[in-house]
Amino acid sequence: MVKRRNGGIIRGLGPYLLLSLTLMAAYLYIAPVRTVAQSAAVIGIPVHFLASLPSTALNAMQGHLTSADQLRSEFEAMRQRNLILQTRLHRFEFLENENARLRQLLSATPSQAEQVTLAALIAVNPDPGALAVLIDKGSADGVYRGQPVVDAGGLVGQVTKPGLFRSKVGLITQEDQAVPAQVARSGLRTVVYGGGPNRPLRVLYLDRNADIRTGDLLVTSGLGGRYPPGYPVARIAAVERNLAESFMKIGAEPASHLGQDREVLLLWLPGAGASSPGKDETEAKAADD
Amino acid sequence: MISVSTTQRRTWVPFVTVFLALVLLVLPAQELIRGFLPDWVSLALIYWALALPTRMRVSFAWLAGLAVDLVTLGIPGAHALSKAVLVYLARMLALRVRTYPLWQQGVVVMLLLGLEVVLLAIVDLVTAGGLGELHRWTAVIVGGLAWPLVYTALRRSRHLANLSH
Repeated sequence: MVKRRNGGIIRGLGPYLLLSLTLMAAYLYIAPVRTVAQSAAVIGIPVHFLASLPSTALNAMQGHLTSADQLRSEFEAMRQRNLILQTRLHRFEFLENENARLRQLLSATPSQAEQVTLAALIAVNPDPGALAVLIDKGSADGVYRGQPVVDAGGLVGQVTKPGLFRSKVGLITQEDQAVPAQVARSGLRTVVYGGGPNRPLRVLYLDRNADIRTGDLLVTSGLGGRYPPGYPVARIAAVERNLAESFMKIGAEPASHLGQDREVLLLWLPGAGASSPGKDETEAKAADD
Repeated sequence: MISVSTTQRRTWVPFVTVFLALVLLVLPAQELIRGFLPDWVSLALIYWALALPTRMRVSFAWLAGLAVDLVTLGIPGAHALSKAVLVYLARMLALRVRTYPLWQQGVVVMLLLGLEVVLLAIVDLVTAGGLGELHRWTAVIVGGLAWPLVYTALRRSRHLANLSH
């Protein structure tokens, strides 16, 4: 009886175990297999489409329900905002030129501008086990693994899994993500770690006497080369100094809207990734606060 | 045995329910509840393995798992492996578990889902060096609690499809 069942396990489950393990090993160690898997992921597109239907329909309905008055006032507010941003941009361009000139005088390497591509978020939850969002650009558009993703608020995360037409972006709130950052006010360098679902970001290993306080803005420092410098990462929400411990306990709130917006920006670092950006790219400058 | 119903058997119904479960899996959810949502595909596969142990094939579970891997852009083979194991065990236990009351079935389902999370955590540990999936144990408990709901819904679909064996 027992013997028969054992034979059953080997015949009933063995081939599938072997197949799965082979597939995983091949995916991890053989690059062409990874490309094939990326292409095979297109079978997910109809599934993603169906799953995003409810929220897309809801958005469309909201659009119909907004009154003309409301739209007009919204438009007016946006125009004013645009005007303010325009004037600030002029000043920014002036500062940028000045900065480049000063750098030249110091014969330092000029800070290079990144290229950006707009990517739309797809309203699905791509990975139930992780904090991630799905974007509608993939390796066909030149998206590569580890590419930084930002939105209007600041750093969103990095591309963790590029597919052919869709990519998974791991958020900075994910527990295994870390971002080299610095305090915008004091220039203090540190690393911001993700805290997991529904938890604040963590800033670890800062000395008790370090110059950091609630409300400070953390921007990317550019160390490590993955994220370009100057993008807002988080705002310090709570600083807990404990005399009995050598390090502070610091919680921070992400600066970006983390996938609440409908669009994000993919950044192409100058020199990084031998990939060609898509057609709809626009030139953007690294914002230095 | 005399067939009660003369209408046609709709053998495609299980496939459709598993596909719907796949859609449900990637449905957008607030971060607050995201961690608590069970793996609907596993629940659907367990149901069909318990209800039709002779017709449900491990190969179908494997393919469904592969589809999950591709749709969630994961490592292809991880969910395929865990779901094949899940359905194999569910088929083995089917005749015994089917006689249990619903809440007791829920406990068995919870154990199966728990085993799947452990398997996925091992895959994570080996491939990424971290226990990424292990925090999903809350989803396991919710999955067990949601079992009566899944059971009732899928039994209805099975009756509508005239799949009694």
